Amino acid sequence: MSNNEYVVQMVGIAKVYPNGVAANQGVDFNVKKGEIHALMGENGAGKSTLMKMLFGMEQPTSGDIIVNGEKVNLTSPTVAISKGIGMVHQHFMLVPSLTVAENIVLGMEPKKGAFIDYKKAVEITEEYAKKYNLHVDANAKVIDIPVGMKQKVEILKALVRGAKILILDEPTAVLTTQETAELFKELVALKEQGYTIIFISHKLKEIKQITDRLTIMRAGKSMGIYETASITEQDISRLMVGRDVVLTVEKEKAQPTDVVLKVKDLEYTDSWNRKMLDKLSFAVRKGEILGIAGVEGNGQRELVEMLFNLNVPDAGSVTVNGTNIISMPQSKIRDLGVSLIPEDRMIYGIAASASIEENIMSDRYNKKKFNKGALFNMDAMHEESDQLIKDYLVRCKNRNQAVGMLSGGNIQKVVVAREFSADPVLIIADQPTRGIDVGATEFIRKKLVELSREGAAVLLVSADLNEVMELSDSLIVFYNGKIAAYFEDTSMLTDEIMGEYMLGLKKQTDEEIRRVCHE
Amino acid sequence: MNNKRMKMFEIIRGAAAILVALLVASILIFICSDKPFEALRYMLISPIFSNGSISMNSIYTILAAMTPIIFTGLAVCVMFSSNQFNMFGEGSVMLGGFIAALLGIYFSTGTYLDIIICVLGGAIVCGALMYIPAILKVKLGASEMVCSLMMNYIVMYVILHFLLNVFADGSKGTIQTYPFAATAHIPALVPGGSKLSWGFIVALIFTALVALFMYRTRWGYSIRMVGINQSFAKYSGMKVGGIVVLSQVIGGILAGMGGAIEVLGRFDTFLWRDLPGYGWTGITVAILAKNNPIFVPIAAFFIAYLNRGCTMMATYCDVPSEMADIIQAVVFLFFAAEQFLAKYRQKLVVAGAKEEIAQKNAAAEGGKA
Amino acid sequence: MLNEIFSLIFHVDFFFAIFRITAPILFAALAAVVAEKAGVVNIGLDGIMLISGLFGTLFSYWTQSWLIGVVGAMAIGLSLALMMGFFALKLKTDIILAGIAINTMSAGGTIFLLYMFTGERGNTSSLTSSNILIPTVEIPGLSSIPVLGDILSGHSVLTYVAFILVFFTWVLLYKTSVGLQIRAVGENDHAAESVGISVLKIKYIALGISGILSGMGGAFMSMYYSQSWNTGVVAGRGFIALAAQAMGHGEPVGTMFASLLFGFAQALRTKVSGIQGVSSNLISAMPYAVTILGLVLYALSTINKAKRKKAQEQKKD
Repeated sequence: MSNNEYVVQMVGIAKVYPNGVAANQGVDFNVKKGEIHALMGENGAGKSTLMKMLFGMEQPTSGDIIVNGEKVNLTSPTVAISKGIGMVHQHFMLVPSLTVAENIVLGMEPKKGAFIDYKKAVEITEEYAKKYNLHVDANAKVIDIPVGMKQKVEILKALVRGAKILILDEPTAVLTTQETAELFKELVALKEQGYTIIFISHKLKEIKQITDRLTIMRAGKSMGIYETASITEQDISRLMVGRDVVLTVEKEKAQPTDVVLKVKDLEYTDSWNRKMLDKLSFAVRKGEILGIAGVEGNGQRELVEMLFNLNVPDAGSVTVNGTNIISMPQSKIRDLGVSLIPEDRMIYGIAASASIEENIMSDRYNKKKFNKGALFNMDAMHEESDQLIKDYLVRCKNRNQAVGMLSGGNIQKVVVAREFSADPVLIIADQPTRGIDVGATEFIRKKLVELSREGAAVLLVSADLNEVMELSDSLIVFYNGKIAAYFEDTSMLTDEIMGEYMLGLKKQTDEEIRRVCHE
Repeated sequence: MNNKRMKMFEIIRGAAAILVALLVASILIFICSDKPFEALRYMLISPIFSNGSISMNSIYTILAAMTPIIFTGLAVCVMFSSNQFNMFGEGSVMLGGFIAALLGIYFSTGTYLDIIICVLGGAIVCGALMYIPAILKVKLGASEMVCSLMMNYIVMYVILHFLLNVFADGSKGTIQTYPFAATAHIPALVPGGSKLSWGFIVALIFTALVALFMYRTRWGYSIRMVGINQSFAKYSGMKVGGIVVLSQVIGGILAGMGGAIEVLGRFDTFLWRDLPGYGWTGITVAILAKNNPIFVPIAAFFIAYLNRGCTMMATYCDVPSEMADIIQAVVFLFFAAEQFLAKYRQKLVVAGAKEEIAQKNAAAEGGKA
Repeated sequence: MLNEIFSLIFHVDFFFAIFRITAPILFAALAAVVAEKAGVVNIGLDGIMLISGLFGTLFSYWTQSWLIGVVGAMAIGLSLALMMGFFALKLKTDIILAGIAINTMSAGGTIFLLYMFTGERGNTSSLTSSNILIPTVEIPGLSSIPVLGDILSGHSVLTYVAFILVFFTWVLLYKTSVGLQIRAVGENDHAAESVGISVLKIKYIALGISGILSGMGGAFMSMYYSQSWNTGVVAGRGFIALAAQAMGHGEPVGTMFASLLFGFAQALRTKVSGIQGVSSNLISAMPYAVTILGLVLYALSTINKAKRKKAQEQKKD
C-alpha cells in the first residue's frame, strides 16, 4: 500500500458527522514529498473536513491515513504534530496580548530554572525566522502586528514544532495582494528546503502560480489528482464548479414590475482592511427572484448584513420601496415588509431552548392581533402557530416542543414559516437550504418560487449552484466584492460559464453589468 | 425528544440533588450529634408535625419566612432570564425597607393608603437605582455583576449614614428609626407571634403576576428571548438594550417591594444595620425554581422549611441551625450543574430517538399498506 | 474640621493602618487577578476567605502553631477552590453560581463546623491566645528610621507577604510558563488547545492558586486582624477584591494600588469616626463608588480606543 514517493496518503476516507452529514465519501488523497499541493473545491466540498482529519482534529469514520509510509491513528493535534504535521488555520490560533516569541513557544517554553527563558524564546524565533526567511518582530505583541505577519507567526509556530508537512487553510483569504505575493515567495523557499505544503484555496490564479499538483473536491468526493502544469484553468473550473444532479423546479416565467430593493454604490472595508463590497449596485424587482452566485467570501455575507442593519456600510445606500434602510432598527425594516432567512440559523434564526410557537412569534408578538390589552392573546397565537406548523409541514410533537430538539430541516422550516408568513414584499434568502434534508429543501424552494409569483421580490444568496441556477429568474455573480456578471435569463446558462465568472476568469463589461440596476 | 420524558428527568434530577444534600446533612448530624435520629426527626418532620399533631404556628412561621424570599426569588428570575447576573437584589431589599419605613414615619396619611404608598415608594426607588448597572452594561459593556455588588455596599453605608445621623430615635438603646404609623403596618394574617402578615398573600399574588408577565406578555416574552439568544432577538426586531434595562428595573422593583413588605409586616421601626441576605437567598430560590416564577413559592417553601427544621433541631438537639446553609448550598450546586446525571439524560435522549424512529417506520409501513 | 482630618491623616498611625487594612484585600484581589487571567470569575472568594479563616484558627489552636494554622488555611482555600472548579468545569455549573453557592455555604457552614469541631458558638475568642496569632516583625535597620520605620516596620509577617506576593504574582504570570499558559487560556483557549495545552488543567491550576491566596487572606483576618474568628470577620472583602481587580485592570500592580485605595478609605473611616460632622459611613461608601467610576472610565477608554483604530484604518485607504 505504501509508496515512498508520498509523504501523506489518505485512502478511502469517509467521514459522517453525528448529525448525519457525510462530508467525505471515499476520498483518496496523496501528497509527494517536497511539493506544493493544492486542495481545491467550493465551500462545503469537504476540503476542510479532510484536512481536519489529517491534523487529528477529527477522526475518519473509515479509511486509512499513511504518513511517511506508516499507518497512523491521528487522535489529536498533538499526535499529528508529533508526526511532523502542522496546520495554519484560517482563523488564527494566536493569543493577541502575548508577544510573537511567546506565541511561538507557547506550550513548549524554553526554561531557565523556574522561569521562562524569554531571551531564548526570542532567539528561537529569530533563528527560525532567519532560516526560513519569514520576517517577524519577535518582541511585538500579536495584537499590534499586521495580518500578513500573523500568518508568518502561525507558519513559524508549526515549523518550530518540527512540522515537515504544512497545511494552510485558505491562507490568502485574509491577505492583501502584496502580502500574498510575499507569502508565495516564502512558501516556494520552504519547498526548496524540502518541506511539503498542502494549500487549500479556490483561487485559480494562485494555484496556477505556485502549486505542483492539485486535488479537486466536489460534494465530498475527489474529482481526481492532476499535475498543475497539464490542466487548464477551464478544466479546473469545470471540475470544481458543477452539479452532480440537476434538480429542476417548475416555475412560470417571471413578470417583474417595479423595483423593490435598490442597492447603490455600497462600499465596505472590513476590520482586516479588505474591501469586501466595492461600489456595489443592483436592484431587485417585484415578482422576480434575483440570485447571487459566487464562491463564499466574495462579499455575499457582508451584503446581507447591510441589508438587515446587522452591520453598517462605509458608503452607499440601500432602499426598500424608496425608503433608506441603512442604520434603521430591525423592527422598522421588518415593518417595511422585509424578511430574512439568515445564513446561520442557529445564531440568528432561532432561540434553541424556546418552543416552536415562541420562535414563530418572535417578529409579530407585538402585533395587535396577538395581544389583548397587556396580555397575549394565546388563542390567536396557538391558532397561528398550529396553522404554520401544518402549512410548512414542520415535523414535531406539538407547538410547545423546543426548537433545538428538531432536526435541521425542521428547524429551517420554522424559520421559513415565520419569515414567509409575514407578508413580505422583499425576501432575502441567505443559503436557505444549507445542510438540510432533500424533502425540506424541495419544500422551501417551492415556497420561494410561489411567493415570488405572488408578487414578492426575492434576493437569493446561495453557494449551491444547483439552487441558485434553477431558482433564479435572473442572476448576478459576485467576485471580489463586485458583480462579475449579470444574466437576465438563466435558462441558457451552463455550469462552465458560471464557473469562469465565479472563479474570476471572466468578467462582463460595466455596461452589461449595469443593466441589473434597472434604471 | 419527548417533552414529558424531559420533565420527568428534571424532576428526578431535582430529587437526586435534594437526596445528595440530605445525605451530606445526615453524615454531618451523625458526626456531631449524640442523638442523630432525634435530630433528623426535628429537622425533617417537626416543622409541620409536633407532638403527633399538625403544628399550625410552625407552619405560619414558615410561610412568614417565605414572604421576602419569594419577592427576591421573583426578582432574580426576571433578571437572570435576560441573562444578567445582577446582584443588587440584596441592596434593594434593604433600601426598599428603609424607604418604606421613612414614608411610614414622615408621610403618613393616617389611612391604610399608607401601606400602598410605602411599598410603592420603596419599590420605585429600587427600580430607579437599577438603571445604573443596567445602563452601564448596555451602553458601555461594564460588568453588571461587579457594579451591582458595589452598589449593595454603597446603599448599605448610605442607609447607615442616614439612619445614624438623621433618622435615629435617640430615646432607644439600639439604633433604629422612630416607629412608623400604625396605619403603615401590614396587618397580621393570623393572630399570634408567627409574624405572618397579609404580605404573604401579596407575595403569592405577585408570583402569579410575574408568571403572567414572563409567559403571557410581550415584555416578558422579549426578556426571555433576549436571555436565550441576543442575536436572534435583535434580528427579530426586538430592542435588546431596552429589554435588558427593563428586566433589571423590574428586578429592582420586586426586590424593593419585598424589603418594604418585610419591614412593614414584621417590625414597627427600621432596624436593619446590615444587608439582610434575602437577595442572596433569592438567587438560590430562583435557581431551584429554574427561573420559572411559578416554582418560586415551592422553592421558597423548601428553603423556609429547611431553615425552620434546622432551627428546631438546634433548639432541641445539639446540632447548630446553620447546617441549613450547607444543605442549601449543596442543593443549589447540583441544581445548577448542567452535567449532573448527564449520562442518564443522554440515555433518555437515545431511547427517545430510537422510539421515534420505530414509530416513523411503523407509520411508513402503515402508509404503504 | 478639615484641620482635624489632616492632622489625623498625616500621622504615622494612619499610614500604618492603611497597610494593615489593605493586606487582606490584597490577598483576595491577587486571587481574583490569577483566576480572571485564566478566564474564570471567582465570586466565591468571600466564602473561601471565611471558611479558610476559621480553619486557620482551628489548626493553630490544635497544633499551637500559627504557621501550621496559616498553611492549613491555605490548604482549605485550595480544596474549596478545586471543589468550585469541579462543579464549574466538570459538572458545568455556571462559575458565578458555583461561587455564590460557596458563599452561601460559608455563611452558616462555618458556624456549624466550628460547633462540630469545638462546641463553640459563633466565634473563637475563647480558643485564641496571643501565642498562636500571626506574629509581627520589627525589621532591623528600617525600624530605627523615624516616621518611615514607624509606618513600614512592625507589621505582621503576612502583611509583608501580601505585598511581596504582588511581585511574585507578577513573576508567576509574566515570567513562568504556567503564567504564560494561564494568560493564553484566558485570552484564547482555542489557541492554547491547538498547541497541546490542557485548558482544563490550567483553569484548575489558576483556581487553585486563587484558593491558596484567598486562604491566606482568610488567615490574616482571623489570626491577626481580628485576633479571633467570627462570622463577620471577612465582611465582604472578597467582593471588594473583585472590584479592586476590575479597577486595577487585572494587573497585579494596578490591583495593588486599587486595594490600597480601599485600605485608605477604610483607615480613614476608623480615624474620622470620632470627629463631629464627618460621616464614617459615607466615607466607607466612597471606594465602592470610585470602583464604579473606575469601571465606567475603563469602559469609555476601551470604546474610544476601538473607535480611533477604526478611524485610522479608514484613513489608510
